Amino acid sequence: MAHTQTNVIMNQKVDSSFLEEMEKTAAGKKILDCIQCGICAGSCHARFAMDYSPMQIIKMVQLGLKEDVLSSSSIWICASCYTCTSRCPRGIDIPLVMSSLKNKAMENKVPAKIPTKPKFHKGFTEIVGKYGRMHEPQLQIKLMKKTNPNEVLNNMAFGFQMLRKGKVKITPSKIKRTKEIEAIFKGAQKKEEVKK
Amino acid sequence: MKYAYFPGCSVEASAHEYGMSCMAVNKVLGIELVEIPDWNCCGSIDAVHAYNPELSLSLSARNFSIAETMNMDIVTLCSACFFTLSRASKMLHEDPNLKGAVDKIMNDAGLKFTGESKIRHYLDVLINDVGPSKIAEKVKVPLKGLKVAPYYGCLLVRPPQVRSFDDPEHPKSMDRIIEAIGAQSLDYPDKTRCCGASLVLTDESVMLEMTKDVLMSARAIGADCIVTPCPMCHFNLDAKQADVEDHFDLNIDMPILYFTQLMGLAFGLNPKDLGLGRNVVSLKAILEKLKPPIEVAAKV
Repeated sequence: MAHTQTNVIMNQKVDSSFLEEMEKTAAGKKILDCIQCGICAGSCHARFAMDYSPMQIIKMVQLGLKEDVLSSSSIWICASCYTCTSRCPRGIDIPLVMSSLKNKAMENKVPAKIPTKPKFHKGFTEIVGKYGRMHEPQLQIKLMKKTNPNEVLNNMAFGFQMLRKGKVKITPSKIKRTKEIEAIFKGAQKKEEVKK
Repeated sequence: MKYAYFPGCSVEASAHEYGMSCMAVNKVLGIELVEIPDWNCCGSIDAVHAYNPELSLSLSARNFSIAETMNMDIVTLCSACFFTLSRASKMLHEDPNLKGAVDKIMNDAGLKFTGESKIRHYLDVLINDVGPSKIAEKVKVPLKGLKVAPYYGCLLVRPPQVRSFDDPEHPKSMDRIIEAIGAQSLDYPDKTRCCGASLVLTDESVMLEMTKDVLMSARAIGADCIVTPCPMCHFNLDAKQADVEDHFDLNIDMPILYFTQLMGLAFGLNPKDLGLGRNVVSLKAILEKLKPPIEVAAKV
């Protein structure tokens, strides 16, 4: 991975508070424990689609390369499969680090390399806020590029097939005590605002 | 054997046949799953968690607060829910600051929880509470000659630091069930690879590549079908298989079943009660192999 190492050294935009900021997150406490052994990079099933390996992302956080990390594709590609963490000799919860990095990228409104990703997180959360549960068709509609007629037609054909197979419910399943969910959302949103 | 049952959102929709076949199998094995009343989204591994971590943990906590009044272990069919609830319970246990923050959110919503309920996957119940020998006793149609590739996916067994009832690198629980019902369980290197999970919604080409690897690996060892314990894996391997075939110009034709559907077939249960008509890739090739052969209507 020599070429990416060079990338890291070439970019001098260092934010010295970034590591400290990440260390305050649940999984971030262990970031300095990383010994750069590379087991995560070698194990990652989605590495082929990432610009930086998980090992490089951790190193970049240590170095304070905030901009490069938050604008990378890697943080969005991580599928939380946990192969890396299962094998990490330092017990770092790498998918949870990636999750915190997504959170920071959304918070800082960094343009995502995969533009549907922030929409996915926002849309998923909104649907759960409304019903207390997920309703997949609504998420699909939120994510669809409505300007692309081919995509709309393909999605509709797939949706119809799923409907015929009984895999889609037209009406969402909604919990009864939605007031509790509303209160939880309100409380958690307040918490996020305080953080900012 | 009685448990507090957390179905999760997928089992209510795309994985309906998983829930159906589980309930049918439960009747044979004497397992009672009591649905947690008014349960909500588990909190999601990453979808909600990345957006707002405390919100995700509080969603898990609301489920704990309801389940705790039932005084039973929580059992779920979905590997992702199993993992999310287990991780939330562990994080809240180990981090007093996080617990304090979630307690405050829950208190304001008028809810209380301790987070002490044990969270288990249904496969864990089958292996450790029922046991393969009791499962073998119930077999009416031994699935002799059927070569099955068990696909474990990710979150059922990983990471061992969270909660695990099986080996994270070489899990065996589903293999033992396959053998107990008379079929042949195949060993292959990709049984714990990742299918791409929710990338299906945001980066489809990446997910197709990851799912293809699993399908082709099972095909290469001559599997008649793949069985899985995870709704998300099932969706990608089964419902998206035609897209994998188109994208890579391949002909795969690999039937994908929930392990509970395969158990139901071996118990001689009605295919309709196992939701076999809901699987997208045709099951015809494997059903014809059974003695006596089984016919399933393709529409639900």
